[in-house]
Amino acid sequence: MSPTTLRRSLVVVGIAVAATVPWFTDLFAQGLATTAACTALLALSLVLLTGMVGQVSFCQFSFAALGAFTVGSLMVGHGVSFWLAATLGAAFAGVVGVVVGFLALRLRGLLLAVLTVSVALFVDVSLLAPGTWDGFTNGSSGWTGIPHPAIFGHELDTYQLYLFTFGVFLLAALLVWNLRNGKTGRVLRAVRDSEVASATLGLNVAGWKLAAFGVSAAMAGLAGALLAVAESSAAGGSQSSYSFQYSVALVATVTVFGAGSIFAAAVTGFFIVFGTWLLDLTPLSHQWFNLVLGALLIVQLVFNPDGVVVKTERDVVHLLHRLAARRHPPAVSVTSEAA
Amino acid sequence: MALLEVRGVGKRFGGVQALQDVSAIVHRGEIVGLIGPNGAGKTTLFNCISGVETPDSGRIAFDDNDLAGMSPHRRARLGIARTFQNLQLFGSMTVLENCMTAFDAFARRGMVADALRMPWARFEEHRARERAMAMLHFLDIERFAHSRAQDLPTGLQRRIELARALCLRPALLLLDEPAAGLDADETIELAGFLRSARDRLDVSMLLVDHDMSLVMRVCDHITVLDFGKVIAAGDPPAIRSDPVVITAYLGEAA
Repeated sequence: MSPTTLRRSLVVVGIAVAATVPWFTDLFAQGLATTAACTALLALSLVLLTGMVGQVSFCQFSFAALGAFTVGSLMVGHGVSFWLAATLGAAFAGVVGVVVGFLALRLRGLLLAVLTVSVALFVDVSLLAPGTWDGFTNGSSGWTGIPHPAIFGHELDTYQLYLFTFGVFLLAALLVWNLRNGKTGRVLRAVRDSEVASATLGLNVAGWKLAAFGVSAAMAGLAGALLAVAESSAAGGSQSSYSFQYSVALVATVTVFGAGSIFAAAVTGFFIVFGTWLLDLTPLSHQWFNLVLGALLIVQLVFNPDGVVVKTERDVVHLLHRLAARRHPPAVSVTSEAA
Repeated sequence: MALLEVRGVGKRFGGVQALQDVSAIVHRGEIVGLIGPNGAGKTTLFNCISGVETPDSGRIAFDDNDLAGMSPHRRARLGIARTFQNLQLFGSMTVLENCMTAFDAFARRGMVADALRMPWARFEEHRARERAMAMLHFLDIERFAHSRAQDLPTGLQRRIELARALCLRPALLLLDEPAAGLDADETIELAGFLRSARDRLDVSMLLVDHDMSLVMRVCDHITVLDFGKVIAAGDPPAIRSDPVVITAYLGEAA
């Protein structure tokens, strides 16, 4: 079996399993599955930024918060439909992303990380602070009772909302996959590898970085918009799902699974939401989740900085080639790109 | 007709006068050599021409366009390509992808066409691939097309950088020490490539190198820099016998 065939069949099987299994579960698990799909979309936005342009961001959940609160205010406060609200939310996050990208233009590595941390903390103490929204929402520190999106007047039920969110993730993944394999992916990698060489080849380095930040932030904003309807609230204060710590966990998990891989984004979404549940299946307590994540991250960075998914994929491809070589020598060497 | 005209360019870094009233001209179809001891200001002049540094004084004109205040990527689109003394290949990419990147600045499609895999996006991709392959064939490195650039030896990497720069189809090519790290045979081969690139691809060149065998072999005209100033200019035989040049530079090398 060729690696491409194997990958395609795995993707098809994975999509089928992910789409059908929640149908057999209770509403609570379906809700979690929707959250996982949103988180996967967020992870994908980080794959676009970190895996393709090499820029780090510790504020993806803050962009998500912009999307979520836009949806909350427009849908609950003004009765706007989900479709318009989510579009505006994603666009707003994208514009803020371009602004952050502009500030980040000359920064790399540690300083860029510090900048994105400050953005996240700024959102934490302003947008998400307890009391910010009290004047608008009669003191509930956020928007509650956000309805599910409606298609032709029919409001999606919990499982349908999951399918919709998962579909959005798949569509986004397909678009990112195409970007990566086209001119855009090549240009972004060029910018990551050598900015000075990219400029002397006529590429507008600043423009491409801004575009990457904008698209990544808009994708995160869309994930936030979906998260808001999935949780039917956009809450600030101590219950907020968008604070800085979640962005850190997202970066850590994406790094563990492989920042260069689209499939790793899907795994990240599943792991962040169901990781505690997975731990409960083992003798460990779910309270150990962060500890386990931290330990995984350290092991990962030391032994295999490309990430679990990327490494596994490469190993499988090598294995297939070895098997093929044994059957029909001589071996054909094929260079493989991570999915 | 002057393709590149550098007139009275000065550049100071703190207390060091890197360039002082430097003038040079590259005519269409010429290969001009720029030589001088280490620290003479050759790379600084290159950086001023390609837009990486801004000169403090003087004027640089390319094809009758004043380059002042123009960003590096716009100069590249006007037709100025360059290679680097410390190689700047895209290490994670294959040789072919490195060269294809040179077509991307001129590609009409944007992110949306790419994301939706529009037919014209795929067509352009295909065309860029073919043209890059043709350039690799021209420089006789097409067998390395699918190797990762950073896994190849330095001599080959220099040639890949040359291929990538030529893929831009520039009118002017700035070569920063293209023979560094090459052995004698490779240098002779490089001289041949430079001459045939000039003749067949219509590229004028400004060439910095320490390797006199290369400079004397390929250059039509040579400008000598020392301590940021032009101390001599002329054709290779004249430079070779110029006493000022011999004291300043060739004396130590020969």
